[in-house]
Amino acid sequence: MKRGLFIALALVLFLALVPGVFAQKVTVWCWDPNFNVYAMKQAADVYNKTHPNVQIDIVDMAQDIEAKVSAGLQAGGAGLPDIALFQDFRIEQFLHDYPDAFVDLKAAGVDYSKFAAYKVGPMQVGSKIYGIPFDTGSTGLWLRTDYLKAAGLNPDSYAGKNLKWSDVVKFGVTVKAKTGKPLLAWQSDNFDMLRIVVQSTGGQFFKPDGSLNLRSDAFKKSISLFKDLNDKGLLYSVVGWSDWINAINSDQSAGFLNAIWMVGTVKSRPQNAGKYMIIPTPLIEGVSGAANASNNGGSSWYVFSSSSNKAAAVDFLKSVWATSTPDTLAFYNTILKGAGAMGTFLPSQSGSNYTARDEFFYKSQPVFKDFATWMAKVPVLKYTPNYVPMRTAVANAVQNYFQGKLSSVDDTIAAAEAEYKQVMGE
Amino acid sequence: MALRGAYERYLNRFGWWCVAPSVLFFSIFYAYPILSSLYYVTRRWKGATNTFIGLGNFIRMARDNVFLEAVGHNFIFMIIQVPIMVFLALLLAVLLNQGIKSFRGGLRLAIFLPSVTSLVVVSVLFRVLLQTNGFLNNVMLGGHFIASPIGWLSDAFWAKVTIILALTWRWTGYNMVFFLVGLQSLDPQIFEAAEVDGASKVRQFFTITVPLLVPIILFSAVTSTSGTMQLIEEPNILTFQGGPSNATMTAALYIYRQAFFINFDFGYATSMSYVVVIISGILAAIQLRLLGGERATR
Amino acid sequence: MTVARRWTPGRILMWLVLLGSAVASVFPFYWMLNGTTLNPNDVLRGILAPGGDFLSNWKLATTTYNLPLFFTNSLVIALGTVVFGVVINSMAAFGFEKYRSRARDRVFGILLLTLILPQIAVVIPMFKMFSFFKLLNTRLAIALPSVMSVFIIFFLRQNFKLFPTEIMEAARVDGASELAIFVRIVAPSMRASFASAAIYMFIAQWNAYLWPLITILNDAIKTLPIAMASVMQAYTIQYGALMVIVCVSTLPVLILFLTMQKQFVAGLLGSVK
Repeated sequence: MKRGLFIALALVLFLALVPGVFAQKVTVWCWDPNFNVYAMKQAADVYNKTHPNVQIDIVDMAQDIEAKVSAGLQAGGAGLPDIALFQDFRIEQFLHDYPDAFVDLKAAGVDYSKFAAYKVGPMQVGSKIYGIPFDTGSTGLWLRTDYLKAAGLNPDSYAGKNLKWSDVVKFGVTVKAKTGKPLLAWQSDNFDMLRIVVQSTGGQFFKPDGSLNLRSDAFKKSISLFKDLNDKGLLYSVVGWSDWINAINSDQSAGFLNAIWMVGTVKSRPQNAGKYMIIPTPLIEGVSGAANASNNGGSSWYVFSSSSNKAAAVDFLKSVWATSTPDTLAFYNTILKGAGAMGTFLPSQSGSNYTARDEFFYKSQPVFKDFATWMAKVPVLKYTPNYVPMRTAVANAVQNYFQGKLSSVDDTIAAAEAEYKQVMGE
Repeated sequence: MALRGAYERYLNRFGWWCVAPSVLFFSIFYAYPILSSLYYVTRRWKGATNTFIGLGNFIRMARDNVFLEAVGHNFIFMIIQVPIMVFLALLLAVLLNQGIKSFRGGLRLAIFLPSVTSLVVVSVLFRVLLQTNGFLNNVMLGGHFIASPIGWLSDAFWAKVTIILALTWRWTGYNMVFFLVGLQSLDPQIFEAAEVDGASKVRQFFTITVPLLVPIILFSAVTSTSGTMQLIEEPNILTFQGGPSNATMTAALYIYRQAFFINFDFGYATSMSYVVVIISGILAAIQLRLLGGERATR
Repeated sequence: MTVARRWTPGRILMWLVLLGSAVASVFPFYWMLNGTTLNPNDVLRGILAPGGDFLSNWKLATTTYNLPLFFTNSLVIALGTVVFGVVINSMAAFGFEKYRSRARDRVFGILLLTLILPQIAVVIPMFKMFSFFKLLNTRLAIALPSVMSVFIIFFLRQNFKLFPTEIMEAARVDGASELAIFVRIVAPSMRASFASAAIYMFIAQWNAYLWPLITILNDAIKTLPIAMASVMQAYTIQYGALMVIVCVSTLPVLILFLTMQKQFVAGLLGSVK
């Protein structure tokens, strides 16, 4: 009996000592099957080549993710994964409210000089840096060339041009008149399109001291622009993210204003092939510092301190996402073509797909080259921890303005400020 | 009790043993949470840290239009939906009970069916049916009832109507069955006598049926009111988290969002919960007084 | 029934109201069933005729959305709640009804207060409590708070009222212990009421939303209502698969109810009196 026990014990010890016989599991929470899940899977494949016994489990949490993360953090880490994806505009609030919840990756040896500086900003608190930057949200104006043509316009005359919004409104009106399609799909309960325009002007939503900055010229001009678009019937209004996607992919509008990460969604519908053309984000006139470029979204990966597999998680992120090897560079190249996921890992930008033409788009436009060019011009936007209540308040006020419940831009701004103060308890 | 002494004490002890588990559950899952939340009420939470702020949360609540409007919405739903539904349920019960002889079972079953669905299912189904380019709009456009699609989910007014529609659909059958049961316990001779006296069916309804069914109406009203004060599934799923622009935000939903989405402020959320509890209590007391009092006087 | 009823406007109106209500009540169920056969766009557009996508929707629902797991979770939790619930609530109702005392009546009065207590008020402190004991995200956490239901106790009390105390007295004379009286004499004859209570508790737990929403942190424990809510939050809502989940979520309750209609209504009869 004793001998049997001894042998069993020895066997167990032997197995434990032999590196990696016991499979380790790293759980990752993210969203968007065509984009983030896909990218993570590619990364997992690369990692599994050298670490075959680390099982990387990717869970699509959709829009649940922030509620579940906050519930888990409130519960001291219960139910949380090892790695989670956070949108850049959201992370500051989490870092601020839960200072010990994330692993300091700078201390773990990640070289942040290899990442685009504007991505590192939101994830840095003092001397600690917490995340691995992922994708850029470089934006453009996406147009359906088939509807342009049907309206008697020549798409080539707009390709690559730095247009002003007034130009866009003009041809938008023509498209609406001739084809009945509104130019832009607009998610009325979401503030992102407005944000894109504001950011393109270099405007900020918050002053350096953290207080609201909604009375700026840039913001007022942006709201007026959308009111104008709405009044001219150029916005196809839907409620809810999924319905916005649905509207685009069921031909309800002649285009939309959003970021590079829509590539995966647009490509997921075969009928979109050859129809889409992307031009630089239009310019708001009369605001100094305005550019034909903006950013919407972009996320980064974070490791939770409560993770039971911290070492494996950190190593995975570091070695695949933050280190240059032929395999990792190939990985960044693949996800660019496959999902439009343009990473902000600077060494990866020499990949072939970054300059290649993409046959899915109108006249094989080299969309990634364009987005990368525009990305370099994006004015920086400071989020602050209070970004989310602000954007909800603004979205609500703008919705009311469009429905006629508020009568002017100033009233809209006042309403947004009022709601923000009440929700924040100031 | 006629018995005294050891036997009586044994019975008494047994009685306590019977109710003990339920009292234990009550203490752990109702009493303790309510009492412990007093701790949170005086604090402001910000994620992992909290600070003492005395009555600050209540002052904040008084100035928080979103909260005040949310409570207002609860009241709007309550004042409009509950009477409509109770009346409809009563009407259907009377029609089924006294109006028709055939198909009674089938119709009763059909109207009761929505009550077995979860509120999540109701929200999902109605959200699909009430899309701007969805079924209901298509039917109404086709039948020329309306000229352009109604924004059931995107317009502030219609979104409230949508919630009321969903609630009525879900709960009318449930309450109808209660009324049916009550009606069946009424003595048909009363009605026959009234008929002989020349009272019309409508008059009979208002002067005989309704007063006799007051206890059930009270039960219906109290539970429905309590339900509308707790409304969370419909505004969250059907109208997208209280939209559009907080037009259908309810107290419970706002509390949930403050705790888990917006600010992670459990202190503020708990304070609002307290206020909601007090409001519910007052409403129940009023209803008991109003409707229960009538019963006592007869 | 020999008198022929004339079709007065009143009668026509009455039938319109009844039939209209019945159709309006049942239509969404047809919709739900039909939706399982359509592709997502058609579900939204409101096509009434069945389509051919049932298998692909079913596959999506059972593989990508882990429908069997969610169904199992819901079932296990609901059954657990019912088993414990019937025992605890029936004993409580028995104790409150057949062993009247002023003290117990007062206790019952306090318990009644929970009927008007909004759930949101208890949910947040309970969340803190369960997370302190590291019991979040477990099936136990979802089921426990629902086990005791004052509504059920009230309902069962009404039914116990109808049980003749003389039988209990006779058994006492024969020397039976109170527990034996309950288990061997009272409970067996209350089967119908217990069945009603069980059905009611099952349906309530099966459809529960708020507390599971807060407690469930990942897919392993997810129940059907939460799964449906999650699908509605997805990037692109797969309406066809969603309808499958909706059907799977609703049909068991529907069938349960249809087969046990009589008990259900009989139970309601007792409580209303």
